[in-house]
Amino acid sequence: MNAEMGIKLGHLQSMLLFALLISIAFGFLSRRRQIDRVKYIVWSLFLFLLIGVGIGWAMYPFSY
Amino acid sequence: MADETAVPEAPPQDSRSEAMAYVIGVAGWIVPGLGHALLKMWGRAAMCFLTVGMLVILGAEMRGNLFDSAARDAFDSLGYLADLGTGTFYLLAKSVETNGADVSHAGGDYGTRFLATAGVLNLLAALHAYEAARGRKA
Repeated sequence: MNAEMGIKLGHLQSMLLFALLISIAFGFLSRRRQIDRVKYIVWSLFLFLLIGVGIGWAMYPFSY
Repeated sequence: MADETAVPEAPPQDSRSEAMAYVIGVAGWIVPGLGHALLKMWGRAAMCFLTVGMLVILGAEMRGNLFDSAARDAFDSLGYLADLGTGTFYLLAKSVETNGADVSHAGGDYGTRFLATAGVLNLLAALHAYEAARGRKA
């Protein structure tokens, strides 16, 4: 971290961090039991990444 | 004979618990996780505080756009509303982002999303605490 420039993260790193934090919050808010929370967080994280990468690939032909 | 169509008056306890639910909802908005903490839902309180806090700090460190009340268009107004959703963490983001926003690169753009998402997530958590205080399944 550079105090002048702030944090520099790549696209994938940013997406991973975002998906992880949101999945954890959703898991804790929507489930009560620990095992259900873990399952929800893993599943939500997987879907975030799958859909994010999927949309990225779908946009690829239009990137020029 | 009593009028059966008359709506019974709500007992005073209901109005008190409804007012308490509002207080808990507002507390959850002002300080992320406080609403759940007042309900003794410690795990949820800690996670709300940490996830919203991390999103705000990361978003500000990535130099995302922190909208203010001087909105130029509808998107700015919506962004301001979303950012305000973080409650007092809005001020924290202001203090972290001393160099101002820089959305000329992807990091700053992601930072803007982090900040807006933190606000919306905190509003969702505050609403969840409000519903839990009203006795709805949470």
